Amino acid sequence: MKRRTFLTTALVGTGALALGVNVYSPPAVNINPALDNPHRLLFSVLLPVILDGAFPTVESHRLAAQTRTLDAIEQTISVLPQDQREELMQLLELLEQRLGLLLLTGNMTPLMMRNPQELAALLERWRGHYLDMMVTAYGGLRDLIMASYYSCPEHWHHLHYDKPKYFES
Amino acid sequence: MSIEDPIETGLASGWQHVDGSTLTEPQHYQVDVVIVGSGAGGGVAAEILTQAGLSVMIIEAGPLKSSNSFNMEERRAYPNLYQQAASMKTKDKAIGIFQGRAVGGSTTVNWTTSIRTPRNALQYWASDKSIAGLSRDELDPWFEKMEQRLNIAKWDYEPNRNNMALRQGCEALGWEYTVIKRNVSGCWNTGYCGMGCPVNAKQSMLVTTIPSALNGGATLLSRVKVAKLEHQGDKITGLQAQALTESLTPSGVAVNVKAKHYLLSAGAIHTPALLMRSQVADPHQLLGKRTFLHPTLLSGAIFNDPINGHAGAPQSIYSDQFVWQDDADGELGYKLEVPPIHPILIASKTLGYGKSHAELMAKFNQLQVTIALVRDGYHPDSQGGQVQLTDHGFSLDYPLSDAFWRAARRAYASMAELQFAAGAQQVLPITEGAPYLSSWQQAKKVISELDLAPLKTIVASAHVMGGCPMGEDPKMAMVNSYGESHYYDNLSVMDGSIFPTSLGANPQLSIYGITARNATHLAQKLQPK
Repeated sequence: MKRRTFLTTALVGTGALALGVNVYSPPAVNINPALDNPHRLLFSVLLPVILDGAFPTVESHRLAAQTRTLDAIEQTISVLPQDQREELMQLLELLEQRLGLLLLTGNMTPLMMRNPQELAALLERWRGHYLDMMVTAYGGLRDLIMASYYSCPEHWHHLHYDKPKYFES
Repeated sequence: MSIEDPIETGLASGWQHVDGSTLTEPQHYQVDVVIVGSGAGGGVAAEILTQAGLSVMIIEAGPLKSSNSFNMEERRAYPNLYQQAASMKTKDKAIGIFQGRAVGGSTTVNWTTSIRTPRNALQYWASDKSIAGLSRDELDPWFEKMEQRLNIAKWDYEPNRNNMALRQGCEALGWEYTVIKRNVSGCWNTGYCGMGCPVNAKQSMLVTTIPSALNGGATLLSRVKVAKLEHQGDKITGLQAQALTESLTPSGVAVNVKAKHYLLSAGAIHTPALLMRSQVADPHQLLGKRTFLHPTLLSGAIFNDPINGHAGAPQSIYSDQFVWQDDADGELGYKLEVPPIHPILIASKTLGYGKSHAELMAKFNQLQVTIALVRDGYHPDSQGGQVQLTDHGFSLDYPLSDAFWRAARRAYASMAELQFAAGAQQVLPITEGAPYLSSWQQAKKVISELDLAPLKTIVASAHVMGGCPMGEDPKMAMVNSYGESHYYDNLSVMDGSIFPTSLGANPQLSIYGITARNATHLAQKLQPK
């Protein structure tokens, strides 16, 4: 997907989310099917910030890494215990609503409309926040994304690591 | 290369195993002894009780997984083999907890370190916790028995570079260090013990005592979660369980078991939680309290040469230089060890994001990590955590006290001093605000000023203990020193939950030895006359 299409998608998607419309219509907005899920869209704007420096720089490789990581995030969420999954969903839903955004970020601007520097500044505020709830929100998103990205063997080349191949014929 | 899978072979030979996810109709069983949990306590007890001629059933909430599915990848191992997919945390999310959940319990995923219960712990238990008959001299024969059974022996090979750094640091500073004994037979030295041994070298319960019990006629239920014990007067009268689906959610199929004796070995957290859910007698309100974790700090170090902490026996050296430096109930001591270094483990147990984190991950093979396991449960300001029941299960409320943070600061300093002495170019205490340190002089100053706090400082645990303490005095213990309930004639507990404090040592051999003693005692009582 070209970057311009992605941004358009993000803007349209964010508007829909902020209005409480959680259903996307891929043909109407030319959305990447890999992002056909509201939380995937939210994560897709956080990944380049949290994984800056680890994500490949070549566009096609970066998109492939993003799709793999989004899949891995879904998989990770699916194995979380119910209490943790519910907390995470609550956080994600707040981040997709204007009032929730105002509460958590002090600003109603949807995350998808903020540039990477603004998103990094937001994460930094959460990271050092005096309220444990905000630090926990930061830690939860960070750990989920890190664990999901580094769970994929395709992303280990950055570490110069691979698992032993004794048992592979 | 193909490795024989002893579980598949055993199942083919006719072991009595029921996978709860295949059940469609309610089940009722009657046995001599039902054991809840298949880890270090349940596994050892199952073998001993089966050999005594008793009919034994083992119920495990986790799945039966074996070497054919151990593929050395965290993304498979964590959801398959760990409680809460290795994402379990204390109530305030300040401590991450690794605990096994599969047949074999934590022994299926531990790092094989085998240490007899320290004398200081046993002396404290005798003097302050009303424990009888568990002096080191009395326990040593049981430790010897289990060391033979599980092939526990000193690791005679060269430590991997990660452990070597720990040894070199100790040598340079004149600190105590010990070569670790490991429960392995024919170890390939791969370094993937934490994801299930792919070659069945680790002598976990999965490949030793559980197969032995099954060969002796015991029955294993996996993916079956015990919900409640029924009780009347001074007797446990039944056990209610639920079959679980493949994804370990209740399937709605009930499993009920009647037994002459009920043995809980579900581990710290789950044994007390089960007893609390069952509303058993607990007049002194002890259940779930004093749960200990050996809360653990991490210090990273960048070396010039390859460390490759993912390869080789994960733990082969430890240092007890600081564990018992004060009296047992004095300032909290800490044990120095190293962890294996794997991608998810390191990515999630380090700090930050973006370029700084990516740069650290790019040094993955140059990264040495030392850990300090804090000995909790002795100092008056170290009372551990409390298991609390919730709508969906439990939470563990574990406040980190001032005494802990004092120990944490000392531990960071010790780890930095050790890592520099071993040749580290840079040291990074894993706590928010800590910079890369380039000398021991700098480290001393910076660490003395660090702002250590919950959620800012990475704290982890792989040792869950306590919550159902043993002792002869019912005011401070739920079970006696043989693990027998003070309130129910036919209920025993044999797992890490009976420890009245943490151990100051990795717990598996303590559980093996004490369970061997207590299960042998139980077998003598229950044996058909």
